[in-house]
Amino acid sequence: MSKHRVSRRQFLSYTLTGVGGFMAAGMLMPMVRFAVDPVLRAEESGSFTPTKQKVDELTSKPVRVDFTFKQKDAWYESEVTSTAWVYKDDNGKIMALSPVCKHLGCTVGWNTSKEHPNQFFCPCHYGRYEKDGTNIPGTPPLAPLDEYPYKEKGGYLYLGQAKPRKEA
Amino acid sequence: MKWIPNDIEMYINAKEFVDTAVVALHPVSFGDEMKQSASMHDFITLLTNQLERQFTGRMVLFPAYSYLKKGRMDKPLEELLEWERSLKENEFKHIFYITSDSDWRMQESSLTGALLWMPLLPLESMDESQKVSLIGSQVKQLQNLFTQKWRENQ
Ligand code: FES
Repeated sequence: MSKHRVSRRQFLSYTLTGVGGFMAAGMLMPMVRFAVDPVLRAEESGSFTPTKQKVDELTSKPVRVDFTFKQKDAWYESEVTSTAWVYKDDNGKIMALSPVCKHLGCTVGWNTSKEHPNQFFCPCHYGRYEKDGTNIPGTPPLAPLDEYPYKEKGGYLYLGQAKPRKEA
Repeated sequence: MKWIPNDIEMYINAKEFVDTAVVALHPVSFGDEMKQSASMHDFITLLTNQLERQFTGRMVLFPAYSYLKKGRMDKPLEELLEWERSLKENEFKHIFYITSDSDWRMQESSLTGALLWMPLLPLESMDESQKVSLIGSQVKQLQNLFTQKWRENQ
């Protein structure tokens, strides 16, 4: 008996929330579709953006490479400019690091702290990273800088989506 | 951090690291000065957004303060002082106002926060790459000012 009463009360509350719920569903559905649309997915992970950086001009000194790509969200397409710190490591392998600090997201600079030369330095809370992106213990960041996958095409550098690095 | 729920949530969880508030001041005019006030809005918005990208982890970019431009500045000033009180109560140690409206320069002494006056640049008449490098150098200047202020009160 009491069970029956509860379910009737539940039913009432369901119908009441149902009105709002229906509207929320109407708003959410297109968003969900956006979130899982396979076309958008493929574009996110697979595409490389051209930069103006010539690969054979890269040296062991990190340089700032800016590149612009289009990003879609639910309402409009916008141009986004990203930055990478790019150099060749001791083995001649290209490294492209994200400048976004792993602490709270400020932009790190190369060699911008006089006291700590040849490191990446974050002006916000003085986080520091080695040249290879490894975070320096005792400074706020707890992870190494993200790394961009790259490609070379016609002598120019192409960059993908920055990814967190696996611990070496 | 921007004035969006995700960033503000981040702020709430990392408050002790975020001590800087940035507020853009936008004049709104009509008539002959209408277009100019729109250009100022455009320019200052660009600057503050770029600045936010550099310093995400230590500053909150508040919604800009817009005011009707009708000669006297006492009303906008009064309201801005109100903002200032709230910001200070909420532990923003460093407050920066960024504007192209030169009338604020006269009010500077009444404010505790730093007033950064950026003279309007004619962005409309520039091509994209000129614009980018110009804004870039202006943002650099602002960055230096910020880091300097941070160091002073360490
Ligand atoms: S955001 Fe880089 S050290 Fe805090």
